[in-house]
Amino acid sequence: MRFILILVALAALLAAPWVITDPFYVHLMIMVLMWTLLGASWNVLGGFAGQVSFGHSAFLGVGAYATMILYLNLGLSPWYGIVIGGLAAAAIALPIGLVCFRLRGPYFALSTLAVAEIIRLVALNWESLTNGPVGLLITTLPPVTFAGVPVDWESKTPFYYIIAVLAVGSLGSVAMLAHSRLGAYLLAVRDDIDTAEAIGINTAQVRVSALALSAFLAGVGGGFYAMYLRYVDPDAVFSIALSVEMVFIAVVGGLTTVIGPLIGAVFLVTLGETFRSHFLTGHLIFYGLFMMVAIRYMPEGIWGRLRLIFRNRSGVRNA
Amino acid sequence: MPEAMLELKGLSRSFGGLLAVSDLSFTVEKGAIIGLIGPNGAGKTTVFNLVAGFLPPSAGEVLLEGKDLVGLKPHAVTRRGIARTFQIVKPFRNLSVLENVTLAAFLRFPMRRQAEAEAARLIEKMGLKDKIKFSANDLTLVDQKRLEIARALATGPKLLLLDEPMGGLNATEVDLATLLIRDICADGVTIIWVEHVLRAIMNTSHRVIVINYGEKIADGTPQEVVENPNVIAAYLGKRARSHAAD
Repeated sequence: MRFILILVALAALLAAPWVITDPFYVHLMIMVLMWTLLGASWNVLGGFAGQVSFGHSAFLGVGAYATMILYLNLGLSPWYGIVIGGLAAAAIALPIGLVCFRLRGPYFALSTLAVAEIIRLVALNWESLTNGPVGLLITTLPPVTFAGVPVDWESKTPFYYIIAVLAVGSLGSVAMLAHSRLGAYLLAVRDDIDTAEAIGINTAQVRVSALALSAFLAGVGGGFYAMYLRYVDPDAVFSIALSVEMVFIAVVGGLTTVIGPLIGAVFLVTLGETFRSHFLTGHLIFYGLFMMVAIRYMPEGIWGRLRLIFRNRSGVRNA
Repeated sequence: MPEAMLELKGLSRSFGGLLAVSDLSFTVEKGAIIGLIGPNGAGKTTVFNLVAGFLPPSAGEVLLEGKDLVGLKPHAVTRRGIARTFQIVKPFRNLSVLENVTLAAFLRFPMRRQAEAEAARLIEKMGLKDKIKFSANDLTLVDQKRLEIARALATGPKLLLLDEPMGGLNATEVDLATLLIRDICADGVTIIWVEHVLRAIMNTSHRVIVINYGEKIADGTPQEVVENPNVIAAYLGKRARSHAAD
């Protein structure tokens, strides 16, 4: 049953650009999928491991810059660059984890905010590498042929398929995580670090692993972001707004669920665009209002709530 | 002489100027049930935290079967074979009873199915079989104390540190818990047990160690300890000791 649903969803994902051709809607779908990937990234650390980060734009930014710099300076194709961008983000996450995981709860969250700000300032001032506040710009993407047909980078469709693969890959890896021993250990760390240690879990190692996976996904998202928009500057990719948006999508979708980030991205991206087109000024007020209502009345998120309802319907109640 | 499971040598720990544990030495032989008692604030829980790696000692050694544990993180101490419970219960609140214990069983059984089977066995042993699917948060305090013990046992310890397993239990529950502790010992687990319920500890322990202000003031059989004038003074005050001497 679940298998069939997944196949239907994948088929719909594959067919969507043939049905929906309006570039605006294709763009919207790309944004939904990119935010799914970023929400999934935050969900690994903030949901499963319960370590709230307000600085995830740091990993997105590192991924974006790494992909961009490798292409512009070394001519490395972005399609490898995106993966390397993810690895760069994971690599930078390791020292961050070693420092910040000495702190717990709100102190950890604040330290991530500070780290993201530090990285933004480094990007802003390391002009020889990052071009400083001016940012980096790509004018042309390298020619690629797919199945013998040259890919048209001026169309949005190739980007749609790339991000679809990345987003599905991220949800797949989270699903694997959720069923693995590491995933179970993360839930233990989330609930009680002392008890987790007391039953033999190396909580430092487990948390750093979650951070590295989370940073990798965010870095991949950043690499895609750079290639899709073809422009990065420090204030755009290292902004607190991006970090907070990742939190919102993961929370509204449903923390520690696999497809929560997808649901969150669908709701928040389309809602954001709808508000923007209807209320030119002040659309963020409505967006903010929706967030408040959602978190107040559905703290377990949209998908979390649906799951609870299903479970109660089918009579399989926990206690 | 029976082989030593645990040996503390000159163990000390200070918090600022306060000496919480002071030059504490004792040996726990394999297969014993040791009661560790003392008035409030005597340093009992600090001793557990030092042994289990939750606090580094200021001085001294902790030897498990002759190997020094000082400097190891709590998870590494658990892997060496020491499991503990917490005085104020600390279950994984959002997880079920089965999940709580299974997580601990992963230490010995990497495959989930085997870990769950071992967890189910221990849950049944602790009398929580009917509540295996309950969220840990929905258990009564008595059941949460049992869950603490089941979780600690699931790591397969040689030495079990029980921090007030009977606090808040009524008389019948205390009797049941006493039987359980004897049972665990019979399975070959050495036990050190901090308790305020003296009746239970005196009935069950092979040996009782009394500490006060972080120092050992008595060490012997339950009978010897209750007759020790220092112990009576520590618990009831100096005037009581003079009455007892009469």
